[in-house]
Amino acid sequence: MSRSPFALWRWKLLWEDKAAIFSGFVTTLFVSFLALLLALLIGIVFGMLGTSEKKPLRAINRVYVEFFQNIPLLVQVFFIYNAFPLLGFRWSVFMIGVAGVGIYHGAYVAEVIRAGIRSIPRGQSDAARSQGFNYLQTMAYVILPQTIKIILPPLTNQAVNLIKNTSVLATLSGLDLMYQANSWALQGTLSYGPAYVAAGTLYFLICFPLATWARRYERRIKEREHIQLSESAVDELMLMAEEML
Amino acid sequence: MKLKKLIALMLSLLMLATLLSACGGDSGGSTTPTPTAPSGDTEDPGTNEPSNAAVDAIRSAGVLRVGCKEDVPNFGLFDIASNDYEGLEIDLARLIAGEIFGDDSKVSFQAVTAATRGPLLDNGDIDLVIATFTITEERKLTYNFSDPYYQDAVGMLVRKDAGITSIADCDGKTIGVAQSATSRDAIQAAADAAGVSVSFNEYGTYPEIQMALLAGNVDVFCVDRSILRGYLTDELILTDDKFSPQEYGVTSKFENKELAEYVNTLIQKWNADGTIQGLIDKHGI
Repeated sequence: MSRSPFALWRWKLLWEDKAAIFSGFVTTLFVSFLALLLALLIGIVFGMLGTSEKKPLRAINRVYVEFFQNIPLLVQVFFIYNAFPLLGFRWSVFMIGVAGVGIYHGAYVAEVIRAGIRSIPRGQSDAARSQGFNYLQTMAYVILPQTIKIILPPLTNQAVNLIKNTSVLATLSGLDLMYQANSWALQGTLSYGPAYVAAGTLYFLICFPLATWARRYERRIKEREHIQLSESAVDELMLMAEEML
Repeated sequence: MKLKKLIALMLSLLMLATLLSACGGDSGGSTTPTPTAPSGDTEDPGTNEPSNAAVDAIRSAGVLRVGCKEDVPNFGLFDIASNDYEGLEIDLARLIAGEIFGDDSKVSFQAVTAATRGPLLDNGDIDLVIATFTITEERKLTYNFSDPYYQDAVGMLVRKDAGITSIADCDGKTIGVAQSATSRDAIQAAADAAGVSVSFNEYGTYPEIQMALLAGNVDVFCVDRSILRGYLTDELILTDDKFSPQEYGVTSKFENKELAEYVNTLIQKWNADGTIQGLIDKHGI
């Protein structure tokens, strides 16, 4: 019997207990999905604030983005988990996952959306205004729909990062994929090899198709000439996309 | 075409997995002869112990590398003031180094957690783990364990205001345990016997569980009683519960039978002559 950490009998043990790993996978998917919705919502609101003509609104955007982008996610979720209860708020780990990760990535999404809005020529919103659209209508019907094609690739990269970052929940006993893999790896025969390979593979299986799709989509829109973009906006988006990858 | 690519992806993943397993198997096979390679057992006729290639390999490396705990008072604790490790297991490691080198300072400590101690042994980064590693039959399939040098029962640490005095009060409560801890099984068995249902949260380190207990994220902190005593604060009390005794052994890589035998002989000797009891008394465990 091989004693290698990756010995075949250890894979068989994992296969017998696959339900635990699978339940972690499902939790990770749920947390990711809800956190992504939250991040998009926050991103749209704060992205719009960031392009506002009113200085205080832009200031709110800056404070939010800088605060959440410059403190590690792990520190943020540790604070919510260990300090909030002492202040009288207790969130379930699932909620910490959705809210913590969603709020954190909301800051990045806000930057993507801000850049997207700025890439739409000013004439578009002037034209909308001249037709009697108010600010929100201009955004909802004219500007944001046009940004979608441009911001989709960097947004997808954000989604990939978000999915991977839900693994911070493992440190809070969050029942996510990484937690379940760790838990299984450290029980019984200590067969950590298959557990971590399985967890990595499952994360990869969600993230890789998303990332590939985003890359292809980006290539395709670059080839299309009829999308009018100002040079600086394209540069800004490219920079952002590179930063995220 | 998309399907083809997907299949290609799956195949490459499979190859990666087999590669990994092959590597693992290789390292498992090739490390066994490594200690034998510098077969300098004729070099030191000075020692009157039976020749042991694994121990010779450590001698020629010049230092015994031990994985220890850094967060368990009285067993393995990193003292910031003295910038050194201290505790029963630290002393035990120094004793073993003393036997191997005749110099108990020739030991380097590396802090390990439940998640890292196994991989570090397998990698060959450390020679021994002496880190409250509980002996179980299942674990013996993966590592060598010496005879126990310490035995302790699992206990329960609770908040004073929680009104928990025994496992019977724990219906619906959340128990904080350490990852890889055998205490989880012990508590589950005790809860079943008492007819209460409990759920578990696992954490990487003991301070994290203590924090979770103080913050109310768990209701009970369960691990071996001697460890729990190191985490008592004014807000917490230790209940009288004592569950299935845990035995700690010195752990080595499975293939390294010679080292395991050498260490086990030492532990047996020190158990018999009271050396280990002396250490236990010294640390007041």
